[in-house]
Amino acid sequence: MLDRIYPYVVRVAAVLLAFMFLTPIVWMLSLSLTPEGGRLFGNGFNVSFDNYATVLNRAPIFGWMGNSLMVSTITTALVLLLASMAAYSFSRIRFPGSRVLFVLFLSAMMIPGEATLIPLYLLMRDAGLLGTRVSLILPAIAGPMGIFIMKQFFDGLPKDLEEAARIDGAGFFKIWYRIFLPLSRPALAALGIFTFIGAWNDYVWPLISISDKAYMTITLGLPMFQSSYNQEYALPMTANALAAIPVLIVFLIFQKQIIRGIAFTGGKEM
Amino acid sequence: MCGPAARRFLFDPSACKTYSRIPIPVRTFRASAPNPKGVTATMASKTLSSSKNTGASARSPRSTLRRQGWVTGVLMVLPYTIFFLLFSLIPIVYGFGVSFYDWSLLGDKTFVGLQNYTNLMQDEEFRTNLLNTVLFTLVSVPLMTGLGLLLAVLVNSIRKGQAFLRIAFFMPYVLSVSVISSIWVIFLQPYTGLLNRILRGIGLINNEIFWLSDSTLAWVSIIMATLWWTMGFVFVLFLAGLQDIPESFYEAAGLEGANRWQTFRYVTFPSLSRVTVLVVILQTISSFKIFGQSKLITGGGPAGATKTVVFSIYENGFQTFQMGYASAIAFVLMLVILVISLLQTFLMRKIGE
Repeated sequence: MLDRIYPYVVRVAAVLLAFMFLTPIVWMLSLSLTPEGGRLFGNGFNVSFDNYATVLNRAPIFGWMGNSLMVSTITTALVLLLASMAAYSFSRIRFPGSRVLFVLFLSAMMIPGEATLIPLYLLMRDAGLLGTRVSLILPAIAGPMGIFIMKQFFDGLPKDLEEAARIDGAGFFKIWYRIFLPLSRPALAALGIFTFIGAWNDYVWPLISISDKAYMTITLGLPMFQSSYNQEYALPMTANALAAIPVLIVFLIFQKQIIRGIAFTGGKEM
Repeated sequence: MCGPAARRFLFDPSACKTYSRIPIPVRTFRASAPNPKGVTATMASKTLSSSKNTGASARSPRSTLRRQGWVTGVLMVLPYTIFFLLFSLIPIVYGFGVSFYDWSLLGDKTFVGLQNYTNLMQDEEFRTNLLNTVLFTLVSVPLMTGLGLLLAVLVNSIRKGQAFLRIAFFMPYVLSVSVISSIWVIFLQPYTGLLNRILRGIGLINNEIFWLSDSTLAWVSIIMATLWWTMGFVFVLFLAGLQDIPESFYEAAGLEGANRWQTFRYVTFPSLSRVTVLVVILQTISSFKIFGQSKLITGGGPAGATKTVVFSIYENGFQTFQMGYASAIAFVLMLVILVISLLQTFLMRKIGE
C-alpha cells in the first residue's frame, strides 16, 4: 500500500515545496505590478507599470546595474585569464619553487575575505583608489580558487595533446592559448559563472569602499534607495523586481549551464 | 568530487582518482619520476601509451625544454602572483600588524601590544555577537544540510518535470543579498505581509506575529530567509552527488531485498559522505561569515540581538573607526575559519581512506 502511493507522495511534496520556494518571487512581481493601495485582483486583473516608472525616476537603477555589470564582467574576465594562465604553468611547466607557490595559494583559500576588510580599506585609501569601481575589481581577482579549479582540469587533460604541438615547435604559451584554452571551455564557463555571481552579489566590501551614489553597484544601491521607504511596500518591491528580473531572465535562459557550473565549481571549492 | 581533498591531493595525487570524473594522471610531467614496475622508458611509453607515465618516455629533449620553460612558467604565474601579493598576502600581514595598535581612521596610532585581544575577551557586546554567530551556525547548518539533502532525494526520484523543480529550488540563489533581504522584510510585515496572511489563512495563527521585533523571531526570520536563499546551492551539490551513485549499487540493494529506508541508510547516504562533509564545512564557514542578512533584514536589531562577528568588524572598523580593535576581531574570525578548514582536511582524508 505504502509502496504504491509513495511515488505520488513524493511528487506532491516536491511540487508543493517548489511552489513554496517560488511564492516570494511571484509575490514580489505581483506587488510591483500593483499601484500602492490598489489591488491586483480587485476588479478584474489590473496590471500597472506605474511603480516601475516611479522607481526608475527616483533611483538610478540602470546606472547601478551598469556598474554591477561592468565590475562583474571585468572581474570574471581577469580571473579567467590570470587563473588559467597560472594554472597551466602549475600543471605543465613546474619551475623551481612552483610547488611551494601553489601550496601557498591553496592555503590562502582558507582565509576569509572578511578578515582583510580593514587593511584593504587602509591600503586602498592610501593608494587613492577607495570609492572607485576599480577598488571593487582588484581584490576579487586575488582569490585563488580559480587556479585550483583550472589546474585540476588541466591535470586531467592527456599529454598527447601537446606532444604534437611541441614537435611542431610551439612554445608553452602558445600551447596554452591554442590548445588548452579552447579545450577547457566547460571549466572556464563553470568558473566564470561562479565568479560572476560572486562579484554581482558582493555586499560588504562595496558597502565599505563606495560612498558615491554614481559608483554604487545594484547590490549596494538597492538597500540605500529602499531605506527611505518605511510604510510603503510597492516601490521597494518594484526596485527588487527591477534588480531581479534581468538576473532571473539570464538564469532561465542558461539555467542548465548555470546549475551545472555551480555544482561543478562548488563541488571543488575549498 | 575530488575538489574538497584539495590539500590532500597535493600530497597524494592518486588518491583523487576514484572520486573525480576527470582522471588525474599520476605525477604528471616529471622526467625524474621513479619508473614504476621496472620497465624501460621506451617500453613504458609503448605499453602505457595514453596519459600515464609519458613523462618518462622522452627524457632528454624534455629536460632541455623544461629549462627553457622555466622562464615562461614564471612569467605565466607572475600576473596572478602580483594580485595575490597586493590584495591578499600584504593585507593579511598588514592587518595582523594593525591589530596590535590603537589605530584611528585618521592614522593616529599607538602600539598597544595584545591589548586589543585582551579587551576583546572582556567585551560583552563582542561575546554576544560571537555567541549569536555560533548559535546561528549550529541551527542553520543542520537545517540547510538536512533539507537540502531531502530536496535532492525528492527531486532525484522524479524524472518528469525534474527541470522545473531544479529551477524552482535553485532560483533564489542567483538573487543578491539585497534583493532577498528586502523581499523577506516585506514578506514578514505584520498585517500586510504575505507570510502572516498565509498562516492566518490556513488557521495556524490567530494573532499577528511581529517577526522582526522579537529577538528569537528575528533570528528565525534570518534563518528562514537564508534557507530560502542558499538552499539551492546545497541542493545542487547533493543532486550531483546522487547522480554519481552507480545504478548497480541500487540493483544490488534490490537483490538483497532492502526496503526504501534501508537503501537510503546503507547505500545512498554512505555514498554521499564526501558531499555531506563538503556541504557541512562550506555552510559552517559561510554561516560564520554572515553579515548581509543581519544588516539588511533586521539591521542587527532588535536591540542588537541579531548582530554577528562580521557585524562587529563592520561597526568597530567603519562606524566607530577603531581599526586596531576591528582587526583583532577579524583575526579571531580568521582563526576560527582556519580551524574549521583544517578540520575539513582531516575529515576528508579520513573518508578517503
